Amino acid sequence: MFTRRTTLLAGAAVLAAPAIPRAQAPVTLDVLFANPSFARFFNPIAEAFTRANPDVRIAFRQPAPSYDDQHQALLRGALTNQLPDVTFPGFNRLPELARTLAPRNQILDLAPLIAEEGAAWKGENFADRMLALGQVDGKQYGMPFNASSPIAYYNPELVARAGGNPDAFPTSWDAVVALGGRIKAAAPQAMGVSYYINSFDSDWLWQALIQQGGGRMLNEAGNAPAFGDAAGRAAITLARRFVTESGMGLIGADQNRQQFATGGTGIIFDSPARLNVITGLVGGRFPLRTAPYPITDQARGGVPTGGNAAVILTRDAARRAAAWRYVKFSAGPEAQTIAVQMTGYLPTNKRATAEQFLGNWYRENPNAQAAARQADRSLPWEDYGANGPRIHRMQQEVLTAVMRGDIAPEPGLERMVSQTAQMMRG
Amino acid sequence: MRRTRQTSEARAGAGFALPAFLLILVLLLAPLAALLALSVTDYRLGALTVRLVGLDHYAALFGDEVFQRSLRNTFLYVALVLPGAVFGGLGVALLVHARTRTRGFYEVAYFLPVTATLVAMATVWQFMLHPSLGPVSALLAWLGFGQVDLLNDPSLALGTLALIGLWQVIGFNMVLFLAGLSAIPRELYEAAALDGARFGPDRFLRVTWPMLGPTTMFVTITSTITAFKVFDTVVVLTRGGPLGSTETLLYVLYLEGFQYFRTGYAAAMTVVLLVFLVLLSILQARVIERKVHYA
Amino acid sequence: MRRRRILPALLSHAVLAAGAAVMLAPFLWMLLTSIRPAEEVFGAVFNPIPGRFAAPENYARALTEGNLPRAMLNGAIVCLGILAVQLLVAIPAAYALAKLRFRGRGVLFGLVLFGLCVPIQVPALPLYLALAQTDLLDSYFALMAPFFLTVFGMFLFRQFFRAYPDEVLDAARLDGMGEFEIVWRLAAPAAVPAIAAFSVFSVVAHWNDLYWPLIVVTSSELATPPLGILAFRDTESGGNYGALMAGAALVTAPLILAFLVARRAFLRGITMTGLR
Repeated sequence: MFTRRTTLLAGAAVLAAPAIPRAQAPVTLDVLFANPSFARFFNPIAEAFTRANPDVRIAFRQPAPSYDDQHQALLRGALTNQLPDVTFPGFNRLPELARTLAPRNQILDLAPLIAEEGAAWKGENFADRMLALGQVDGKQYGMPFNASSPIAYYNPELVARAGGNPDAFPTSWDAVVALGGRIKAAAPQAMGVSYYINSFDSDWLWQALIQQGGGRMLNEAGNAPAFGDAAGRAAITLARRFVTESGMGLIGADQNRQQFATGGTGIIFDSPARLNVITGLVGGRFPLRTAPYPITDQARGGVPTGGNAAVILTRDAARRAAAWRYVKFSAGPEAQTIAVQMTGYLPTNKRATAEQFLGNWYRENPNAQAAARQADRSLPWEDYGANGPRIHRMQQEVLTAVMRGDIAPEPGLERMVSQTAQMMRG
Repeated sequence: MRRTRQTSEARAGAGFALPAFLLILVLLLAPLAALLALSVTDYRLGALTVRLVGLDHYAALFGDEVFQRSLRNTFLYVALVLPGAVFGGLGVALLVHARTRTRGFYEVAYFLPVTATLVAMATVWQFMLHPSLGPVSALLAWLGFGQVDLLNDPSLALGTLALIGLWQVIGFNMVLFLAGLSAIPRELYEAAALDGARFGPDRFLRVTWPMLGPTTMFVTITSTITAFKVFDTVVVLTRGGPLGSTETLLYVLYLEGFQYFRTGYAAAMTVVLLVFLVLLSILQARVIERKVHYA
Repeated sequence: MRRRRILPALLSHAVLAAGAAVMLAPFLWMLLTSIRPAEEVFGAVFNPIPGRFAAPENYARALTEGNLPRAMLNGAIVCLGILAVQLLVAIPAAYALAKLRFRGRGVLFGLVLFGLCVPIQVPALPLYLALAQTDLLDSYFALMAPFFLTVFGMFLFRQFFRAYPDEVLDAARLDGMGEFEIVWRLAAPAAVPAIAAFSVFSVVAHWNDLYWPLIVVTSSELATPPLGILAFRDTESGGNYGALMAGAALVTAPLILAFLVARRAFLRGITMTGLR
């Protein structure tokens, strides 16, 4: 696994420390990830890594409660020289993080390291499309680690009761809405469809509704909103129709998952990363099924990619070398197998789907296939820049008002676009 | 003799107060001064450059609808919590005080919410108030209110947070009132009985209520401050929604400073918040001075 | 006469019990959830006996999967450290405020009242930057430092000392006791009930604090109890209810014990502070 460069560096370290002959200077990497429950795959990956690389130890920081908290911690850390050596920021926060840290020389461009591994290695492990998710302003700051795009979770019993075919989930949004309406009619206590952009903790699901219709949140230059078009109008109209036609109630995100798990909702849309959690909550109540996210515009449509990328922040040469080994390992097939099995995420490594890694597992877990089947639909999770979180709050408020019927969809969309443009300027 | 006594007293007093003074300086006044300085800059956390913007932030605050909405919400929240916190606490204390064998149980039961860990309690509340799964909604439906969504209906959410705030503070106030009650001399009741005040309401109005005056004042003030500082429940339960109906002052401050990183703007907001706090503390000082006359 | 006594007693029991039920309901759900498997969580209220008794696995997960035991130890260290400094600083200062005339007394009292109104979120950012400058972040000291100052404690103790008879102090002075001796050998022991009361308030507040530890702690060895619990509640999983509630029960238990122990001294303490 050793590259020439790290071997050289390790060798230099041995020479520099003659007091402990033959022992490679052990390095302890300081690593921060978000979402404390992710320890269930970060820990075994770190153990596997240290087994293969006994000279590098991984010391995890107290995990950040969310990607946003992690982002805040990193910005504070940049200011106070408390940055970890390696971190895993969410894809939507990566550009902002990189643009803050790059002028301070606190983040490493991984492109030269990838080049050093050779084009063959790069080609057999990573799709260009996947690597692109870690690029900001033409530099490869992140190595995609976890990836996901929204999928449908549905209750086949409710679908069947409504006269639908549980084995053929609708592939168009009109059909989804109609099925939701029939579920609501067949089970009046239940929600037909819940598409909870009113309470989701990021704008990811909202972006999905735009992108699937061929729209984009931002223009080519990335400096102005571009969702005031037909795709945007279709998306916001759809958002209102979930409420009026599919019996959706506007409740909290956790509450939505609880209601679905108890059989109170026909169809929800959420991250495949929650597959294991939702499966556990459902238990034996009904045979949970998943399906790919419906795409309206087959030519341009896609789904935003959630998840996170590994980023190297340390400036110390020896630590950088060790950190690269760790990042490479994390993005490798063995580590990806662990991460995917523990969550439902998509593997970011091409080799991970091979027979000796995830092949059999995918056969035994058909619900995990939905995400994999739409992997080639992945689009970037678009980022509004420094004011992103503020823009998301504003958009969520307008969306809620539209879904409640306080504002008609079109004026709602106009307001979102104009306020987004205004907030992006300053 | 008198003089040396005075100087030694002054010296000891200053000596005892010195650590407290230093802590106040370091932990309270210096940070506030730093905020004041930040409030006239465009500083963003992590930025390499800082520019002076004068009073721009303050001017912007006057046009900031989110900020003004948060002010309205905060005052509304205080108005909702306060009566229940004071009279609920008093009522519970009166009833618990009259119990003998079961008193310990009730004290613990009502004090328990004070010890709750909010991170976990948030999950409990989300479930309890779930519009279709939660027992509270089931109870309300059974009582004939139809399907009520206490956390997600914009017209109810702030009231729900106020009820949860009440749940947290009533035990605290009960303890303060219990203390006040047990300090009322028994002779006063005996004297009142001789004057013909033998029954509950009479005794309460003639003896208990006047004697509890200072406690009531204290509880009112601390409850006002606690309510004014509402933050935790907003973060974990509603994140300011739905439709901004639960955005409170401290939550907006947190958003600006720690989510949006508009440090300079957040600092200006803090300064405005401080003006309110100073007004509150002056009011409080007045009340406490009045209380000195009672004692 | 007899009936008149029984009826109000019944009524007051009914009201108190109803209120107590509201107060305790969330804790009941917490306990019920902590003993059942994930798929049974949402039936807890209407069907209190779990189909499968999952307490051992939930509590085992709470104790082993995160770092809860360590977090609780840290919580104890931090709470006791904070409390010790708070008492050392606040007791003499409160005594001075109540019983001694010195220059700056009015100012100090004014600052105490002002400080009562300032939430920790206000000075948080400058304090964070200062701790970073002095390279003290991610330490027990950083967890404790902002709370060394307790204006609430100073106010509470001042009220207590004001009620303390001057004659006793004068007698002690005539016996040749210095003010320092008076504070620690006379006033403080007399204040034990008030100290107990304050200690419960202080420990409860800092044991459960999430906001500040989240900012200053980076290494998991320094996590405090709420940070330990977060491992079971985050936005990406958000479904580990059994272990989450088991953790919550474990974290709340010491506080309830502390309240039970301090209850007597505690109620007496508040009475004596003259907060009538």
